Amino acid sequence: MKSDPKRLAAEMAIIVVVAAIIGITWNYRLLADVFQGRAVGAGTSDPPPAATVASAPIPLPLGLMQVKELFDRNEALIIDARDRDSYGAGHIRGAVLLPLGEADQLIPPLAANTPKDRFLIVYCNGYDCHDSRALGEKLIRAGFGQVFVFEGGFPEWRDAGYPVARGGA
Amino acid sequence: MDAVKRHLTALLRVALGVVFLYAAVIKIANPPAFAGNVAAYQLLPYAGNYLVAAILPWIEAICGLLLVTGWRARSAAALVAVMNILFIVLLISTVARGLDIDCGCFRQGGEKTSAWTAIFRDIMLLVAAVFVFRKTKQ
Repeated sequence: MKSDPKRLAAEMAIIVVVAAIIGITWNYRLLADVFQGRAVGAGTSDPPPAATVASAPIPLPLGLMQVKELFDRNEALIIDARDRDSYGAGHIRGAVLLPLGEADQLIPPLAANTPKDRFLIVYCNGYDCHDSRALGEKLIRAGFGQVFVFEGGFPEWRDAGYPVARGGA
Repeated sequence: MDAVKRHLTALLRVALGVVFLYAAVIKIANPPAFAGNVAAYQLLPYAGNYLVAAILPWIEAICGLLLVTGWRARSAAALVAVMNILFIVLLISTVARGLDIDCGCFRQGGEKTSAWTAIFRDIMLLVAAVFVFRKTKQ
């Protein structure tokens, strides 16, 4: 069987191009959110109104740009839900360490010393890490009224070149 | 003897196709989880991981489909071979860099597959792909 390398290469290229078209189309919303720094799957870049927040049983998602604005204005307490090793290796500058595994011991002192209307942003490893959401739910149950999840987490923050810090775990 | 060889090639071609279809479907079902696994390789920026997670499973799916149906199977086998060489290189790079990560080949999350296990598996798939490529008529 004689092979025609040119034709073979062309067919391989076509497969890749078709896959790229289908993949990008299929994940259009997800990719648009990612590339625009919005919360993945949130579909909106507007911060939710406070009225919604107060009654929300689950923490709402925030995108990279919104988190950066709140970070710059120093308007939010940023909470790292990952373990101590991950936090030590790198975290959002100024973030408070509150590993999900230690939440039951660490939330009561935090709740005692923090106003309940304080704006809290919880993050973990991004992508499909659910610890930030789970911790956010615990914080809501502890009485906090404004709890948000930064879904891009540490990887998105670090890759955007925003301020990070090491150690302190 | 020729008939046996033909049947063996067809069997291997379909099996290879099913493996790649299976791998693709798992990843297509949860792009953020796969993006997280791509991110663990520490080679791409944040958005790049999502882009790979959006496209790579569809290359696997199309190749799997072509191998199962037998249409343009040589091109699909060649692409599968190229992908496996790439996967093996990436896995060796994780070993070299001392990263202890899950390969993200099939199931996203859960138990970790060691790099060496994944490398061995990919070598087997590469051998199968080369065999299918050489023995299949377009």
